[in-house]
Amino acid sequence: MANFLAQFQTIKSSSDHIVISVEDVSGLWPTVKKGFEERLPFKRACLNNKTRNSVFVENLPAEFILTTDARLRSRFPHEQYLFWFREPYATIILVTCEDLDEFKTILKPRLKLIVQNDEREWFIVFVSRAHPSNDQATKMAKKVYSKLEVDFSSRKRERCCKLDIHSPEANFWEDLDFKIVESIRNTLDRRVQFYEDELRKLSEQRFMPVWNFCNFFILKESLAFIFEMAQLHEDALREYDELELCYSETVNVPGKQRDFGGLERGDEQAALLNSGNKPLNEIVQDDSFREFEFRQYLFACQSKLLFKLNRPYEVASRGYSFIISFSKSLTSYESILPFCMREVWVVTASLALIGATSSHYKEGLVALDVEKEFHRLEGDLYSLCRLKFMRLAYMVGYGTYLERSPVNSASLSMLPWPKPAVWPSIPPDASSEVLAKEKMILQASPRPKHFGIQRKQLPLEPSILLREANRRRASLSAGNMLEIFDGRPIDGVVSPSNKPHTAAMVRTNSIPGNFESSIDRPMRLAEIYVAAEHALRNTISNPDLLKSLSSLEEFEQKYLELTKGAADNYHRSWWKRHGVVLDGEIAAVSFGHGNFDLAAKSYEKVCALYAGEGWHDLLAEVLPNLAECQKILNDEAGYLSSCVRLLSLDKGLFLNKERQAFQSEVVRLAHSEMKQPVPLDVSSLITFSGNMGPPVKLCDGDPGTLSVNIWSGFPDDITLDSLHLTLTATFNTDEGVKALKSSTPIVLNPGKNTITLALPPQKPGSYVLGVLTGQIGKLKFRSHSFSKGGPAESDDFMSYEKPVRPILKVFNPRPLVDLTAAISSALLINEPQWIGIIVRPIDYSLKGAVLHIDTGPGLKIEESHAIEMESHTDVMDKTTMENRSLGEKNNCHSLKIEDGQVEFPDWASETNSVMWIPVRAVSDQLPRGSSSGAYSGLYLIFMYCRLMTDV
Amino acid sequence: MIVCVAIVGHQVGNLANNPLYIQSFTDGDDALKLHHVVHCSLDVVDERVNNPKKSGPMLNETYLGLLYPTENYKVYGYLTNTKVKFISVTTDLDVKDADVRNFFRKFHAAYVDAVSNPFHVPGKKITSKTFAERISTIVKAFGLSSAG
Repeated sequence: MANFLAQFQTIKSSSDHIVISVEDVSGLWPTVKKGFEERLPFKRACLNNKTRNSVFVENLPAEFILTTDARLRSRFPHEQYLFWFREPYATIILVTCEDLDEFKTILKPRLKLIVQNDEREWFIVFVSRAHPSNDQATKMAKKVYSKLEVDFSSRKRERCCKLDIHSPEANFWEDLDFKIVESIRNTLDRRVQFYEDELRKLSEQRFMPVWNFCNFFILKESLAFIFEMAQLHEDALREYDELELCYSETVNVPGKQRDFGGLERGDEQAALLNSGNKPLNEIVQDDSFREFEFRQYLFACQSKLLFKLNRPYEVASRGYSFIISFSKSLTSYESILPFCMREVWVVTASLALIGATSSHYKEGLVALDVEKEFHRLEGDLYSLCRLKFMRLAYMVGYGTYLERSPVNSASLSMLPWPKPAVWPSIPPDASSEVLAKEKMILQASPRPKHFGIQRKQLPLEPSILLREANRRRASLSAGNMLEIFDGRPIDGVVSPSNKPHTAAMVRTNSIPGNFESSIDRPMRLAEIYVAAEHALRNTISNPDLLKSLSSLEEFEQKYLELTKGAADNYHRSWWKRHGVVLDGEIAAVSFGHGNFDLAAKSYEKVCALYAGEGWHDLLAEVLPNLAECQKILNDEAGYLSSCVRLLSLDKGLFLNKERQAFQSEVVRLAHSEMKQPVPLDVSSLITFSGNMGPPVKLCDGDPGTLSVNIWSGFPDDITLDSLHLTLTATFNTDEGVKALKSSTPIVLNPGKNTITLALPPQKPGSYVLGVLTGQIGKLKFRSHSFSKGGPAESDDFMSYEKPVRPILKVFNPRPLVDLTAAISSALLINEPQWIGIIVRPIDYSLKGAVLHIDTGPGLKIEESHAIEMESHTDVMDKTTMENRSLGEKNNCHSLKIEDGQVEFPDWASETNSVMWIPVRAVSDQLPRGSSSGAYSGLYLIFMYCRLMTDV
Repeated sequence: MIVCVAIVGHQVGNLANNPLYIQSFTDGDDALKLHHVVHCSLDVVDERVNNPKKSGPMLNETYLGLLYPTENYKVYGYLTNTKVKFISVTTDLDVKDADVRNFFRKFHAAYVDAVSNPFHVPGKKITSKTFAERISTIVKAFGLSSAG
């Protein structure tokens, strides 16, 4: 049966619809042809699927072919079963007759002959040419037709219908459709049954030596094709899926060595969507097919059906898995396949799949999650293709131009090098190319990172290419041959025509001239690149891919195309992290092309992603790039904020030297010629908190001072030109915010700093710290971050936590001090005497207080004596006070009075004390020494002077 | 061989999906690429968590299974009831699901012990050395069990 493969394919490709044969007995076809063909394709044809359930096929294409047509004649009977799908599904017998005798004698026997012994599905269309006005003729036609019905129709099956040419009955055409579809359905059922029986028989032999996959394949595919022709794509797909399963069983039979295939020129161009890539008879091997071609063929057939079923996302999904699994197969045959065949195949396969699926895909027709899934798959295909393409580019020496980013490193450094049996050698006349590559290697120096950041570059290689390539080269001694081929015999596996760089060839490769033979020494990197390039030129037949690898510009273009494709699709699939990271890769290229604006925008997205989720290690990799763009673009605000963000990252991520560079940039810019003050949020870098312990307590209207701790995350000292700190009243929003200012420059050391701010009189209430603002040069900074008693934790980046602890409490007005007279007794007129005033501070410091004394009329302070003050205890004996006389001094401090004001000494600020004031009651009427009784003319005004001192 | 394990936090304040612990087990100085792999795998976790329909019976299961098959490494995920994610990256391509499940269970237990420390601030990085040692033991044990 396998001999029919070629024929099978030709027939299959030439017939793609159902055939209905027309037996034109009375030469009527030309007359009715138009009307018949207008019925095509059949609408809502009711067919049975494989599980014998009714299915309505929306459009069933078919063709009417006369039985006399050459296409239906001259077929060998043995071909009929094999290619049954092309045989007519129904036979329409077109007859007319106007005479009963003629019918009986001529037509009926002829018709009987036609329908006898025939398994065909047939029915008779009786065409009446009688004009409606001609009663005679009409009657006759009716008679003949009824006779026909009696003879050919049965109770079980209606096999006749009548067409009046001049006035067709309204339901004739529906009737005709019905009869045709009925015939098609019956034929289909019968044929499917037949193939299924045959297939069952065949598959029973699956594990016997007689098993021949090709035979099975032809039957199975015929069945699939029958379904496909009947537009039962779902069933056809199932047949192919089963076929695939059966094939993999056949291929994986252990012990049977088969050719894999894939050695022909052009094979590296994936044919997974092109079922007609190679004639099947060319890929037959023994009783089966070569894996390389056949698996692609099967996938192509499946994807064709899936596209017809309008399921491009399924093609993408199956396609991705297919590429991955096929790539695995390619890996296991890598040593016999051309150099980098696997990589090239994956690139072409992914591109083909992306092209086909996206062109078949229409946005908005499927559910959102399917749509997301589709884009995710497209993204995966793009990134797979991008990865292999980068690997190829690396092999030919563009590796230095590849961004050593985490994403590239993650995919490339975990992807093993190609493992050809023998690493390609340098072609004889390649010295100039080697020189060019060497030049390229020398010229390509990695771009220094901004701020002089020194990082060990991430690897793009699984191991060092130089070592890997030389290890796999044709070895110097024959002793190593076995090692090279992993102990496998190479005879018969590698045909010289397909492997231009076999070991034998290399060894005869002694080149005269200044170009020394590469055999005697390890290849240099430039030579490896050149050798790989030449080998790839042999592998790749696709001109587009060759072009993309031909120059750096072309490479970059393709690289961008793939990266953009992947990023776009990931974004549409809501895989934002995948998308944004690839945006970063595009940014790197934009940067290289001087497109800083574009680069900055993409980098910003990447940074926002990493910062938002606190992935500082990754952020530290990208942020310097963004900063560099911003610097170039003169985006001062952006640059400053990037520097601050760099400084706020985990300290371990950068060297101190690097962090100092960030700071010096901030300071430099702050003091530079910025057009206008730039606002900057430094919450992550400068945090502040009040002192530990109870809040400062002040009375209404009192000034004070407030000491605040400020943590600086700068690596060096930094001078703040001014500093403002707001106080927010708790439970009183109307009160607004009060700002504390320090206009003198403050130097912040790295770490904790304590600064003291003057506190103007505040209204009663509790206050918490608000916002810290300040200025460095023209830079206006602002911090919202409250520290919980330690330096800003990097995790807290951007998290504003309101402090709950009040830092200041201002109380309502209340008596602050209690003044009472020490003695209450009569004064002697015109006699100097001591009057004691007991001063008791009430929970309040009298530091810097001033006592105003106004004696009032009739009383005079004796200026000849100093005022005296001593500490007072309540237990002090009243009699000692009463007995006190002028000149008696025990532990007394003298104070001076000026303009009726006495300044309080510091020692007395917290404790009770007695102030002794020498007074004399003056009276002109009374003589000196006479008693006046209680004199109450002494007015004391105690006043507290607000001093700007520490309390 | 497990090359990287990570714990990724649930939303605390306005910070979500932040790494609480990430440790790579490679020789080279290339931890950053694994940070990238773990970070990107969060896309898959998000998708699984947000599409309970698709996960179906998996919904009540903490083990998320294979998140991310690539040709050369695999990423597995695990989601606790408090929505903390555990991620592991392995270069073994033939790993038994039961082994990974078991690994995550041990990993989870270690995590629970570590965050039960009264000095640990929830939502902050886990810096405990004991925890790191325990994880490294679990990772080594996994390598032995999967090799054997």
